[in-house]
Amino acid sequence: MTEDPSSPDPQRRKVLRAALWGGGLAGAGAVAGITAKRLASDPPAPKRPPLGPEFTYDVTRFQTTDPSLIQWREVTRFQTGLERPRNLAVAKDGSILVCGDGGIRRFDAEGGELDASSIEGSVHAVTELPDGRILAALSGRVVVFGNDGRPLAEWPLPDVLPVSLAVSEKRTYLADANGRVVRVLDFEGRTLDVIGQRDPEQGVEGFVVPSPYFCVRLAPDGLLRIANPGKHRIEAWTLDGSFELGWGRPSYAVDGFCGCCNPVSFALLPDGGFVTGEKGLPRVKTYDCHGTFTGLVAGPEAFPDYVKAAQAGTPKAASAGIYVAVDAGGRVLILDAIGGTVRIMRRKEDTDG
Amino acid sequence: MAEKDGISRREVLSGGLRGLGLLGIGTATGALATRDRSDDEVWQIDPDACIQCGLCATECVLEISAVKTVHSHGMCGYCELCTGYFEPDPVNLDEGAENQLCPTGAIERTYVEHPYYEYRIIPDLCVGCGKCVKGCNMFGNGSLYLQVNPDRCVDCNRCAIASACPAEAFRLVPRPTPYLLRGKEGT
Repeated sequence: MTEDPSSPDPQRRKVLRAALWGGGLAGAGAVAGITAKRLASDPPAPKRPPLGPEFTYDVTRFQTTDPSLIQWREVTRFQTGLERPRNLAVAKDGSILVCGDGGIRRFDAEGGELDASSIEGSVHAVTELPDGRILAALSGRVVVFGNDGRPLAEWPLPDVLPVSLAVSEKRTYLADANGRVVRVLDFEGRTLDVIGQRDPEQGVEGFVVPSPYFCVRLAPDGLLRIANPGKHRIEAWTLDGSFELGWGRPSYAVDGFCGCCNPVSFALLPDGGFVTGEKGLPRVKTYDCHGTFTGLVAGPEAFPDYVKAAQAGTPKAASAGIYVAVDAGGRVLILDAIGGTVRIMRRKEDTDG
Repeated sequence: MAEKDGISRREVLSGGLRGLGLLGIGTATGALATRDRSDDEVWQIDPDACIQCGLCATECVLEISAVKTVHSHGMCGYCELCTGYFEPDPVNLDEGAENQLCPTGAIERTYVEHPYYEYRIIPDLCVGCGKCVKGCNMFGNGSLYLQVNPDRCVDCNRCAIASACPAEAFRLVPRPTPYLLRGKEGT
């Protein structure tokens, strides 16, 4: 074999290669030296076994549900487009209002976007007044929008954290998670009454609202239904503030309400029953008008992103709820605040065949 | 491509790149390791980044971790059913050991008035596992969270827990304000 005359001196090649490797290794070595010097002053890291199962917070056994209990089917879903959706409502014309950080978006009954209104801040609740004006509830205020989506007025509510709204022909009922009461307002924003103010001497225990989830609805029977999340109940109150009755119990079992404070949201079905949304274990369930569990609309399996975030223990999960609404046709609308979607559900019996 | 020279351009290039790569890795490692925790800084956990993985209990150089659960009483709902205190689906809502979530019994529950209860952490019993924090974050409002107790921390230059933390939740904070607090206590 003859050597190529154009090849460089093999000695030079060796030097070059050695220099390259040497330079690199010297650099790494120098840094390793500095590191070792730095760490020399720290106590040695221990070698301990991982924690045992008794140190693990485990709710996986509650995250699966009996499929036979699921009586509803998703027919469609749509993205809200809001970075942080927080609540939803159905308007008289059947359009769907979704509120969240930055404003309100209106969608048609199948999820096509119709219009949007921008507001600086987090909109915690939205509803429609009988005359078509839209109320957007933010911390310390309610903003009133006209039919055209332009802001018309603002109702200042210092120290109030409104997280749910219900409307009668003449009044607005505003659930204040900060004051733990339901405020009764006229349509100009004047507070006329307060429902549920704690008064142990009068035997009024008040609402237990550990986190900002406190739902109020007006039922066709003329009574308010108000979630008492810390008591794991839904209660009936008269419009002038008398407690009538309540139902619900704390339990991780499917017929109860889990965690410290649930349900975070509920809505009334056309047959007088209830649909409820829970956080922690994301479950949407139905109860009859007496509060007897009747089935599931969707179990935790339907919300894998939510379950994952909750398991990871991120604050995002801690502050996200599963919100529900019901439209005139009896469809259940679920706002998944972590997925950012609205899911439209129908009873299986209505979709089969 | 056939090799024409005794040392090809590709070899020079790859050798050079290897050398540079080694240097780069070395420099990055060095920069990270020699990042000074100056005397006026201490290690602390950002509660918004913490995922309660349990490593705070096992990675600290101390026999019992310097990381402890702290409680924002301003945020707490004083719940009768506290998910940081009770096992999921407890037998009873009372202080029976079988109902308590904490394996070391480090949370004290006292009645305030119906239906409210106060919860206090007993630092000497807390090992910093974060189990109660997980329960509070998952179902409650996050008023329980983990913090390095500066009175117990031995101020390692390179915190062993910070090195192991998968969420990179550890920060260097000024020694005079050594906590990253939530709620009213944090404002």
